Amino acid sequence: MATAITLNICHLYPDLMDTYGDKGNIITIIKRCQWRGIETTVSSISINDRLDSQNFDIYFFGGGQDQAQIIVGRDLQKKAKNLIKAIDNESVLLSICGGYQLLQEYFKTLNGEMIKGIGLFDAYTIGSTTRMMQNLLIEINPDLQNQIQSSYPTTQPSNHPTTQLVGFENHSGKTYLGSEVQPLGEVLIGAGNNGEDKTEGAVYKNAFGCYLHGSLLPKNPHFADYLVLKALQRRYGQIKLKPLDDTFEWQTHKSAINRTRSQS
Amino acid sequence: MNIKLIFAIFVGKTITYLLKAIGRGATTAPGLYALKIDPKLIEKLSRQIKYGSVLITGTNGKTTTARLAYDILSTKYKIIHNRQGSNLLRGIASTLLQQASLLGNLKSDLAIWEVDEATFPEAAKVVHPKIVTLLNLMRDQLDRYGEVDSLRLQWQEAISKLPSKTTLILNADDPGVSFLTNVHIGKTIFFGINATKINLPQITNVADIKHCLNCHSKLSYSNLLTAHMGHYFCPNCKLKRPNPQIFAQNLQFKSNFSSRVDLILNFPRPRQATRPRPDEVGKRGGQLSTFNYNLPGLYNAYNVLGACAIANALSIQPKEIKKSIENFSAAFGRFQKIKMGKKQVIIFLIKNPAGANEVLRTIAQKEKLDVLAILNDNIADGRDVSWIWDTDWEVLASKIKRITVSGIRAWDLATRFKYAGITLSNKNVYKDINYSITHCLRNLSTKDTLLILPTYTALLDVQKSLNKKGALVKWQLQ
Repeated sequence: MATAITLNICHLYPDLMDTYGDKGNIITIIKRCQWRGIETTVSSISINDRLDSQNFDIYFFGGGQDQAQIIVGRDLQKKAKNLIKAIDNESVLLSICGGYQLLQEYFKTLNGEMIKGIGLFDAYTIGSTTRMMQNLLIEINPDLQNQIQSSYPTTQPSNHPTTQLVGFENHSGKTYLGSEVQPLGEVLIGAGNNGEDKTEGAVYKNAFGCYLHGSLLPKNPHFADYLVLKALQRRYGQIKLKPLDDTFEWQTHKSAINRTRSQS
Repeated sequence: MNIKLIFAIFVGKTITYLLKAIGRGATTAPGLYALKIDPKLIEKLSRQIKYGSVLITGTNGKTTTARLAYDILSTKYKIIHNRQGSNLLRGIASTLLQQASLLGNLKSDLAIWEVDEATFPEAAKVVHPKIVTLLNLMRDQLDRYGEVDSLRLQWQEAISKLPSKTTLILNADDPGVSFLTNVHIGKTIFFGINATKINLPQITNVADIKHCLNCHSKLSYSNLLTAHMGHYFCPNCKLKRPNPQIFAQNLQFKSNFSSRVDLILNFPRPRQATRPRPDEVGKRGGQLSTFNYNLPGLYNAYNVLGACAIANALSIQPKEIKKSIENFSAAFGRFQKIKMGKKQVIIFLIKNPAGANEVLRTIAQKEKLDVLAILNDNIADGRDVSWIWDTDWEVLASKIKRITVSGIRAWDLATRFKYAGITLSNKNVYKDINYSITHCLRNLSTKDTLLILPTYTALLDVQKSLNKKGALVKWQLQ
């Protein structure tokens, strides 16, 4: 008897880290699974909730206001061990902005206050007086680019440029990567991690951090499908995704890139 | 004689004259340059206004509330108001210098200033406010205003510096706004909605306040009306929604986009925290009056309440208030009905998730909607279009007959609709706004109404396009 293929999604602190329209990422994962007959469950895990290391295939952690970030940072310490264990077991995680910062070693604010992270990403963030606030276009790092290209299911392989990601950044923290992580990509237009070294985001196993709002996944369907596929393969072994009609998504991707280029 | 002021007024008036001569609007530049010559221009001219000023701000509803207040108060006062202009300091300065004589004399005895949320702290220092009205504070263009928390701290600081003779009018239902009474040394009047049932579809909320501002515990709601607004209390400390003196009950939102609301003015605030029962009104003071007005939705009920509270504080009779509100027609683009020959267009400005959600909730009362949604990402719209993902378009999914998208980020909207389960043909995506309107009107039957939902700069293009097509509207004189 065939049971339905299911992905269990964990939305971390959705009540506190939901300021920047990142909800579109969850909607996108759910819909793209649904259109392929894959079932999904979404659990909200927040302050004082227990986080088990084995329950979830995909974790999502968005951006929030500074005050919320402090409250969440404290609570996250209690979940650190299980979350890191889940990632070491190849679970998939996407974190953006505030969420990304809290998964690093620490965040030192402009006033010198230290917000402790959980060190999932070998990186740290320092508050600055510059607001990095603009459309952000990156070239995905070459390793990942190859994996994404070979995993993205399409009926017209040559038509879609799966090598870039586009979104909107809005942060004043500058992030610097250590040697244990790869950047998610190289900045083509915008600031990225710190506006200095051309890196954007971080990758550790199947965990991704970045500054891309927008929402990110709806207009970057190749990355959305890559996350879904990685999560499915972890649970069900070798598996392929059915191609979808992504005409709208690619038009959105292209028009966002054109807009970004016209503003640079 | 104040030479600096007179020179600033002269330059401002000259710029106004030149701009008008070439057919341009003069709401920003005259004030901008006049303030460079005399930075104290607003303060000096405001001093002359006998009864001082009414300052109105908030994320959503400030334009409509200010216009409502103007209509009511002009029955008694000679008012100066930045009705057409910019709601930054330069807009206030432009309005003042244009009405002043060359020697700097003003005839008005009361000012109504609608101000931008971020401009409010500066404005409060210089306009001699008699009344400060704060409507709500929600996420809006995070790339422009920053976070809600930091903006509220700036408001708090500004309010703590107001003199005791300034009256504060606050929305009791917004925990971030009502809390500000604590830092004010003068009188506060609260307004709010006491109804517990609203005849509008349910919507997924976006809340910017979830925790008690006193003790950081999670806030509870006995009744959540919209966003983070409603009847809240903190289960841990004593913070709770204050009982309003001006409130609405029995709200009926009709499918022709008009409303019928029972309003109670002047209800004395009880010492004990019990909500008045409907049958107590009249017995214990307060006047109940049923208002029928041509504005839709919950958000406009708050605007009406805000304007009533202002009018009430300035001693306008309830009968006059009712008359002005019932005769009111909406401000530019904020629910505006336009006849295009035999066809009808209604415009609803959308600019942030909480405001847009209330618009969607209002139009979702109807079936078979014909909608044109337009998304721009210019500076005045907010460069970041992420907010469309915080907006509950899903509520329209079963209500759409035809939907078209347009604007600079038309494709972002098209994708948003796809993921909201709204069927959209890729033939209904047009970057060019004028073309999208032509297309929609051509396919609109005379029985139907086209609902246009533009962001701010898109609204300006909609106006131009409809004018070209012969709309009979005097936009600027509204």
